[in-house]
Amino acid sequence: MSHVAAIGIDAGSTTCKLVAVDRDGAIIAWLLEPTEPRVEIQVRRMLDALRAEIRIETAVPAIATGYGRKLIKQATRNLTEITCHARGVFRDLGRAGTLIDIGGQDSKVIQIGEDGRPVDFMMNDKCAAGTGRFLEYTAARLGVPIEALGKRALSVSSEEPISSTCTVFAESEIISLIARGAEPDAILRGLHRSLVGRVVSMARSVGIVPPVMLSGGVARNEAVRTMIAEATGEDVIVPRQPQLMGAYGAALLGSAA
Amino acid sequence: MSTVAGHAPSFPSRREVIEHVRALGREVVAVMPIHYPRAMLRAHRLHPIEIWGPPRVPRVEGSRHFQAYTCDIVVKATSFVRSGGIAGTKAILVPHTCDALQGMASVLGDFLHPEQRVLTLYLPRGRRTSDRDFLREELQRLGAKLSEVSGHQPSRADWMEAFEAEDAADAALADLYRRRERLAVSDRHFYQVIRAREYLTAEQFCEAATAVPEGNRPRTGVGLMISGIVAEPLELFDQIEALGAHIVGDDLACGFRRVYSTSMRNDPFERSASRLLKGPPDPTCGTPVRDRIEALQTRMRALGARGLLVYDPKFCEPELFDVPLLRKHLHEAGFPVLHVEFEMGETLPHQTLSRIEAFVETLS
Ligand code: SF4
Repeated sequence: MSHVAAIGIDAGSTTCKLVAVDRDGAIIAWLLEPTEPRVEIQVRRMLDALRAEIRIETAVPAIATGYGRKLIKQATRNLTEITCHARGVFRDLGRAGTLIDIGGQDSKVIQIGEDGRPVDFMMNDKCAAGTGRFLEYTAARLGVPIEALGKRALSVSSEEPISSTCTVFAESEIISLIARGAEPDAILRGLHRSLVGRVVSMARSVGIVPPVMLSGGVARNEAVRTMIAEATGEDVIVPRQPQLMGAYGAALLGSAA
Repeated sequence: MSTVAGHAPSFPSRREVIEHVRALGREVVAVMPIHYPRAMLRAHRLHPIEIWGPPRVPRVEGSRHFQAYTCDIVVKATSFVRSGGIAGTKAILVPHTCDALQGMASVLGDFLHPEQRVLTLYLPRGRRTSDRDFLREELQRLGAKLSEVSGHQPSRADWMEAFEAEDAADAALADLYRRRERLAVSDRHFYQVIRAREYLTAEQFCEAATAVPEGNRPRTGVGLMISGIVAEPLELFDQIEALGAHIVGDDLACGFRRVYSTSMRNDPFERSASRLLKGPPDPTCGTPVRDRIEALQTRMRALGARGLLVYDPKFCEPELFDVPLLRKHLHEAGFPVLHVEFEMGETLPHQTLSRIEAFVETLS
């Protein structure tokens, strides 16, 4: 097995990820877990678990990113998600363009330049609308498991428009739609449209430079991918491991690969 | 009063200033942002103490009287007035800076009736001769009200003394900006001095400004220009320095936008009017956005700024109108722009710092 050149730690608000890369920037190992309340203790435990699997020299740089980055004592440096996501996605897809990252509790749009560095960005980190949490809450109301959301939303052609962008109001809108006997999958389709509308308008304020790339946990949702493509008129490209891009970029920045 | 490099500057407190001006025979007037005729107040034996949305005051009381999308400056100042924060002052002057402040003047004057007299000042939205004439008349109207408040009709000598003192303080402010690169103090310290103009007397401010030491203070990292209404809390500047950046210049309403050029006209109202209209570009004065963009570009080039941080209280309408065009044109000119909206409080939210940190990273 190749030597670990650097470790990236993404202490996100919903999930915590660790990625180890070799000198060429290839991923050697990774771990992903739901974030625990004491993220610094969690990272220590995850690093031990990684060490049990692969040999890691003590001097290996560890770069932390994510909302909990400043709590990670083992990190040699910390950088924001913007820089790390841009780097990870640029390396994985090899393209400049517009990256939309939809995480559990925030979403961001990053314009990536020809050298892989962020040129401009916008973050929504104050409101659950436009984030994975919006789908999670509202799907819970409909009793649909999160992994099935996208498929179910695409399985119907009818759509119930959800006018509230606010998560709390959207939930009460769903309750009235259910009470009126609306088709749950059509409601789901409307919910996806509402989320996509919000992130695409954020992307438009930054300026959409094709291609459009999508990362974060929500990138796995096929309805979100399809609807972003419809709304922007651009193909949407997704990296192989969309949830790991922050940690991957952090590791790359640590190894300078 | 002392100002030592590396230490916080020390000024008289607001309470001490109030006692001092009263001993000089002047009464205190609370003043809302941004532009108003200081010398005119002084000539009328009045002293302005400005209110820029007191951070420790909750929105609750003020928010009963405004739409939810009204900025903190207006809502918190109204709470402050309602909770007796300006007790002991003779009047509150509310310049027509924006619709929110105009609304505040109506709410106070027509509905809440504080014990202080509510004075308004309609500012023109342009800098033409007709605007100056309008403002001159408006200042005459205000002057009559100020005489009623203080019971004093200024003599020629009063006007001259007031202009001399306030011109000297304005010159000291302009000089601080001119000497900025050579000053041996942190950004926080610099803005503490700049903002002391909001309540010190002209003489006290001159003393504070000249006490700012010069010396070798090598500045490393990314140079930023900061724009917006007011940069609060002051901790923001420490955090920016900790992120490896520093402020090379500002376009803040509470700062550089009040570096007026002096006017030498004979008529005191005309002099006050033309002075107020001779400040740097400001959207609340109706400056076309292209003039603001041009002025910003020129200053950013000259000062070596790599990007522009626009830092505004949430829901600041005049600023929000300009931001998309500022972003677009400055970006095209090679100056990235970050727009951050904040709620006035004592601490900086993690998200705000994260955005600024990411911005500094993109510029590094
Ligand atoms: S912050 Fe903006 S909206 Fe509020 S008072 Fe100032 S100029 Fe008006």
